[in-house]
Amino acid sequence: MRLRIKILSGFFILVLMLTIAGIWSITELSNLGSSVRQLLDENYKSINASKIMLEAVERQDSGILLLLLGKTDEGRKIILSGDSLFALGFEIASSNVTIENEQALIDNIKEKYENYSSYIKNPIIIDDQANRINWYFDIPHKYFNDIKKEINDLMSLNDRTMFNTATALQNKASRAVMPGIVSILAAILFSLIFTYLVNYYFIGPIIKITNSVREFVDRNVPYIVKIESHDEINELSRSVETLCQITGEADNKK
Amino acid sequence: MRPHIIFRYTGLVLLINVVFLLISAVISLVYNDTAFRPLFFSALLIGLVGVFPLVYVPNTKEISNNEGLIIVVLSWLLSCVVGAIPYLLWGGEFNFTNAWFESVSGYTTTGSTILTNIEALPKGLLFWRSSTHWLGGLGIIVFMLLIIPTLGLSGIILFKTQIAPIAKDTFRNNAKNTLRILLYVYVGLTVAESILLVLFGMNVFDAVTHSFATIATGGFSTRNMSIAAFNNPAMEIVIIVFMILSGIHFGLLFSVFIQGNTRIFKSTVVKYYLLMILAATVITFLDLLNKTQLGWADALRYSAFQIISIGTSTGFANADSSVWPAIPKVLLMFFALQCACAGSTSGGIKTDRIVVLWKAIGRQLKLVLHPRAVIPVRLDNKSLDESEIGFNILYVVFYLLIVSAASTLLIALNVNSVDAFSGTIAAMGNVGPGLGSVGSLGNFSHIPGLGKWILSSVMLLGRLEIFGLLIFFVPYIWKIRKS
Repeated sequence: MRLRIKILSGFFILVLMLTIAGIWSITELSNLGSSVRQLLDENYKSINASKIMLEAVERQDSGILLLLLGKTDEGRKIILSGDSLFALGFEIASSNVTIENEQALIDNIKEKYENYSSYIKNPIIIDDQANRINWYFDIPHKYFNDIKKEINDLMSLNDRTMFNTATALQNKASRAVMPGIVSILAAILFSLIFTYLVNYYFIGPIIKITNSVREFVDRNVPYIVKIESHDEINELSRSVETLCQITGEADNKK
Repeated sequence: MRPHIIFRYTGLVLLINVVFLLISAVISLVYNDTAFRPLFFSALLIGLVGVFPLVYVPNTKEISNNEGLIIVVLSWLLSCVVGAIPYLLWGGEFNFTNAWFESVSGYTTTGSTILTNIEALPKGLLFWRSSTHWLGGLGIIVFMLLIIPTLGLSGIILFKTQIAPIAKDTFRNNAKNTLRILLYVYVGLTVAESILLVLFGMNVFDAVTHSFATIATGGFSTRNMSIAAFNNPAMEIVIIVFMILSGIHFGLLFSVFIQGNTRIFKSTVVKYYLLMILAATVITFLDLLNKTQLGWADALRYSAFQIISIGTSTGFANADSSVWPAIPKVLLMFFALQCACAGSTSGGIKTDRIVVLWKAIGRQLKLVLHPRAVIPVRLDNKSLDESEIGFNILYVVFYLLIVSAASTLLIALNVNSVDAFSGTIAAMGNVGPGLGSVGSLGNFSHIPGLGKWILSSVMLLGRLEIFGLLIFFVPYIWKIRKS
């Protein structure tokens, strides 16, 4: 094989190794980035939506208490604003179903909120204060607790999934460096082998040729160099050998 | 020692690994699983490192003994490193220590695993895992001889350290012929077992991977419950037959199947090997029948399979032998030390050495009675040299010393004594399962990191016949030869 191919192949392989390592690392990091995005999209959005829904039903609960205290306008205002807020939260949650069992929880929330809503939008206001409190605890507060539990379940489900995904991401992040490490180690090993072979097959023979030519010129020692490879260095050595023979014969004739 | 020669031939070994990595990557692609990128990336990287020395270093007909030894041992070590890369890149339960343990266990055909859920592995990686057994079983070096066109002296020198030294005399002194014999037997057995397993209902993927593990006397299964997962007595019988065959000297198998020679039944070692298996199976069967609730059919099925599995250093399981009574457990441990015949892919001390040991003990007893008698130790009508007998005894003693030292170290790492002793015996003999939590249906995941390194070193020591690996670290053989 020719010298140029031998040298170029070494550098080509080295470049190829580093390119592979680079492409792999970029792919891994880009996967990691999209996983983080996915984590935020899939779980964080649902957790946020659950918080909005919780805030909404708590506001509506306060609104009912205000109605019971006789502050009708203020109470209705709060209940309606809670309703709008709940609709917003529910919209986000229902359009972001990404986990197994999440749809069932959303269906439960919808059903229970409809029940709750039918009471709080048209509350039966009872004249007697004591009966009002009993009514509150018997009906709206019970529905309030039911729906709150469903929303909390939805939040917990997303919390757990987010934790698991984050743990997997942490593992993935530590794995993302592996191809880089492996490639760098392989490249170091390859460089050492490359250096040795260049030294053994190129530099060593050139030094041998130089020393032998010097010996020939200085002390007329016959030029004898054995080159293992079949490339330009071998040809060079044979040419030098021929030259030395011709020079030696010319000297003898003199 | 000429480093460029070492680079050339270890590079060739790496390329053989690359072929199997690429096959595994194709399987991964077919099954559309997650192992394609780790396998393909590993193949590419290792291929580049392996192919480069071929560009520079011309073929040589002369390889010295030292170079031969370095090539063999370095090839084993490098293959183990290469084998760990796809595991490491894939992730899951594989950290650096676990990937190294699994890879060493594969190449040394031990079959111990750190995986708690084998079935979670993608098909491509499972195939690679079995491939390491197959490559290791035949000996990567023997494969390498395939692509060395000049299978003369260089071939023999590489081969000497690969096959248990005591088995050498039955192979003709011709590496090319030896290679051909090994390949015929090895590939033939693998294909035959795969076909039979498929015929008895196993799917092609499982049949091939289990055949790889059987013929290499490895023991990696694709199932968490090993062979017990299939619960198919017909498959178990097929595997039993091939485990027994894989434990016999391949040269003898060749002479039986190809040349129609019945020399196999005249071999003292083979007779001893088969009789010991038969005796241990009968004892285990009777003990299980007596002390457990098993019926005779199940007792026979489990005792035969487990004894043969451990006795050939395969390590497959169709029952949890760690809950068996004491006598079968002792027998299993004896077989984990002894294993099968030299010249097969089996590990352990080997029946050849045990036979010589028994005969040497017998001779010693006779010498006590007749101190002036000249009593030779004969094996198949051939008197053994005193130096051969001495080396044999030294090997057995050294083997047991290493087992004791490694077990003690494991106990010092808080591994319980049953796991430590049985795990070390199983690792040193390249058997796989021990007793207790590292038993036939257990795994090595709970062993501390340092313990896994100790066990993997012991596996390599056992596979390379102890001295092969130890000599590798003697500075003299590394002396660079000036050209």
